[in-house]
Amino acid sequence: MRGVHFILAAIVLVVVMVAWFEPRPDVAEYDPAVHAAFKDTWAKRVHITYWEKWGSFEAEAAQKMVDAFNASQDEVFCHYIRTSQVDRKAMLAIVGGQPPDVVGLWSDNVAPYAEADALMPLDDLMARAGLGDDHYIPNYLEMCRYDGRTYVLPTAPVSIALFYNLDHFRAKAAQLRAAGLDPNHPPRTIAELDRYADVLTVMAPDGTPDVMGFLPTEPGWYHVAWPYYFGGGLFDANGSPTPDLPANVRAFEWLKGYARRYGRDNLTRFRQGFGNFDSPQNAFIDGKVSMVLHGVFFPQFIDRHRPHLHYGVAPFPCAPGVRGPRSFLNEDNIGIPRGCKHPEAAWKFVLWTQTRGLEILNRLQGKHLPLARVPDSFRQGHPNRFLKVFEDLARSPEACVIPTSIVWREYSDEYKRGFDHIWHWQVPKSALDGLTGAERDQETRQLTREEIVRTLTDMRETIEGKLRRKLERTEQRKARAAQ
Amino acid sequence: MIGSGRFRRYATGYAFILPWILGLTFLVAGPFLAAGYFSLCEYPPLKDPMYIGGANYAELLGDPSFHRALGVTMLYAAAAIPLGVILAMTLAMLLNARIRGQSFYRVIFYLPHLVPTVVVAILWMWIFNAKAGLLNFVIGRLFAAGDWWTGLFFDVAALKVGKFVIHGGACWLLAAPALAAATWGPLARRLWPRENSRLRQLVCLAAIMAIVLAALPLLSAAAHTLRPEDVRKFRSPGWLTDGDPMPAGVGFAPSWALWSLIIMSMWSVGQMAVIYLAKLQDVPVELYEAAEIDGASWWRKTVSVTIPMISPVILFNVVMAIIGAFQVFAEPYIMTGGGPEDKTRFVAMFVYEQAFRYHRLGYASAVAAVLFVIIIALTLVAFRVSKKHVHYSGR
Repeated sequence: MRGVHFILAAIVLVVVMVAWFEPRPDVAEYDPAVHAAFKDTWAKRVHITYWEKWGSFEAEAAQKMVDAFNASQDEVFCHYIRTSQVDRKAMLAIVGGQPPDVVGLWSDNVAPYAEADALMPLDDLMARAGLGDDHYIPNYLEMCRYDGRTYVLPTAPVSIALFYNLDHFRAKAAQLRAAGLDPNHPPRTIAELDRYADVLTVMAPDGTPDVMGFLPTEPGWYHVAWPYYFGGGLFDANGSPTPDLPANVRAFEWLKGYARRYGRDNLTRFRQGFGNFDSPQNAFIDGKVSMVLHGVFFPQFIDRHRPHLHYGVAPFPCAPGVRGPRSFLNEDNIGIPRGCKHPEAAWKFVLWTQTRGLEILNRLQGKHLPLARVPDSFRQGHPNRFLKVFEDLARSPEACVIPTSIVWREYSDEYKRGFDHIWHWQVPKSALDGLTGAERDQETRQLTREEIVRTLTDMRETIEGKLRRKLERTEQRKARAAQ
Repeated sequence: MIGSGRFRRYATGYAFILPWILGLTFLVAGPFLAAGYFSLCEYPPLKDPMYIGGANYAELLGDPSFHRALGVTMLYAAAAIPLGVILAMTLAMLLNARIRGQSFYRVIFYLPHLVPTVVVAILWMWIFNAKAGLLNFVIGRLFAAGDWWTGLFFDVAALKVGKFVIHGGACWLLAAPALAAATWGPLARRLWPRENSRLRQLVCLAAIMAIVLAALPLLSAAAHTLRPEDVRKFRSPGWLTDGDPMPAGVGFAPSWALWSLIIMSMWSVGQMAVIYLAKLQDVPVELYEAAEIDGASWWRKTVSVTIPMISPVILFNVVMAIIGAFQVFAEPYIMTGGGPEDKTRFVAMFVYEQAFRYHRLGYASAVAAVLFVIIIALTLVAFRVSKKHVHYSGR
């Protein structure tokens, strides 16, 4: 028995000793192999940590931006830490009282982070540094704000456009001309896009496509953008959800048309043959889809996997009567978590990123700048040869952004579910019994429209309920705090 | 006063269970009680919990997303638990057979349980790939062979569009019942007076094969006629991406995507089988010998000896499976993200999303509390139902 006690005590002792003497990870630890260039100033610098989401060449670009900052001064040293699911991990770290000094987020994180008081407001710091609203393209700054205050600043902006495979256009030039379409030019209207898609689509004998001219579910990242190309939107001017606007219904009818024409199951099976986004098996890069809606970053990925692909980029066409050119804007941004150890040093870094840093980052990531005034040197030799298309779209008065809303996450998830439902929904066979030809088509369209309206109305009611409840709770909390 | 010997015994006992008590207190009971309180609060991270009474529970009652998640979890449990138990028991009985290489087979069937969940999930994503997946490749080949065989008796092209057209060759299907009648019917004693003759055994084998081969086209024709939509889907299922119910038209039935996860859950029945196997080897041989003396068949021995004797282990596995079913998270999170249309969004995923995506820790705690009550209730039901059926040989 004494032996057992001795063994147990020894195990406890070893565990405690290991836990106690285990050296704590310290970013400020000097590594001569990596930090030799900063040897002289290492000890006197304030060391800050920067958590960021990017991987692959985009992470290398961010690291180069950080390196340039570290070389530009001798007071602060920024440690770049690549972090997957950065928004969730950063929130846990903030709640746990061990946040990074700087964190890179997405635009849809702004409202929930601001609502939770997880980020420092930057307005006063910006005013003191002379960083005014006129420094930015208004839409990109808009996405950094919540409830009238600025919580983050933009790093990598995104605008989206139509990518079209010129090889496919040339291979089908005769058929396109026969259909009254120009094989040397991208579609200019939604109706033209559908006709191009029809001609470019190649079906296999088993009924599944070999090539799709256009597939709205590829890459499937921009479903919230479709209503904007039809003159609709997801919020009104007061911030109330409006998923069931007539224009939105039209957008969904158009999308559903692809599932109906080519067969929902065939398209689902076809999509399963695609590889990952960042791979040579990407549907557009691999030539499986001739036209896709994609972001400013996409040319860099194409160049990585198929540098000789012949493709063009143009604004995505709008529905009749809708002013363009239109693009749906988004951005990555950078903020300072509340409770971080070195807020002044963090702000110094954030401020630097908003000038020279943005140029380095966005040039190496192949993106445009979110800034109102772009230095000429930025455009010279820029790796994205379609930069101007994206810049023009970002500055277009018709460009759209999602307003920062406390229910946006719930809304976007509900929207995705609604999209899936409409895409997969099929008219019950019993409803079409005895109908043929045009009558059957007419009934199918009518029933589909009714289902779309019902789904979008349900969505509005659900989101309105969630928004109302959140606002009530916020008021309740304020009232209790005031008591 | 406790004597020093008794004190030492007590102290030793408590010392052994102290790590568990500390863990239970600080890592289980503490968070459990805290979650109970938070479920009555509105609690965003970084803010103090604000007491709101039963508002979270009232919201749960009217939350369609929660109802969907609960429905998916219940369906999964209703299908995966019985299938898992049956498959594991069957496997255990096979592994219990005295054959050469028994240990090898046991290791092989247990091995899948050791593979990490993420690896299994990614592996099955490839298996379920509708375009290039292994499963659809095999199904495609089986259907091709089946269509060829059915085509000898029926017009398959017509069957595919819901029409029933019989070929002249279908009369050959009558050979199966004729052979069966000759093998087991009233004529059999005259034709084959010697029970165990080689000829009789060959005829039996031929009759069984004929029945199977005749049943295949008949079943195929019946399925094409009665469930054309299901057969169409079976030819090349969309698996993880298909939200349609299977069987088609049955609104409450699991979707193809959920069936995929149910099928995948059978991957790790090896662990359950090993537990059954341990108990199977504990069943006294005398019981089987007595049953054999009484003239019991294999089936009778299984029903009257094996299952009652291993029933405590069946109960244990069922209870663990109920708990496991309500904790399914990683597989749907990795493989489907809850889609399509929330058809694979389990309650555990719902809790995670409420807490870490929507930052509603109070609401997530309320869901967890409801989940806890459901698991307790189902476990109690399992115990109550088992009272009459579980046999403890030690009592």
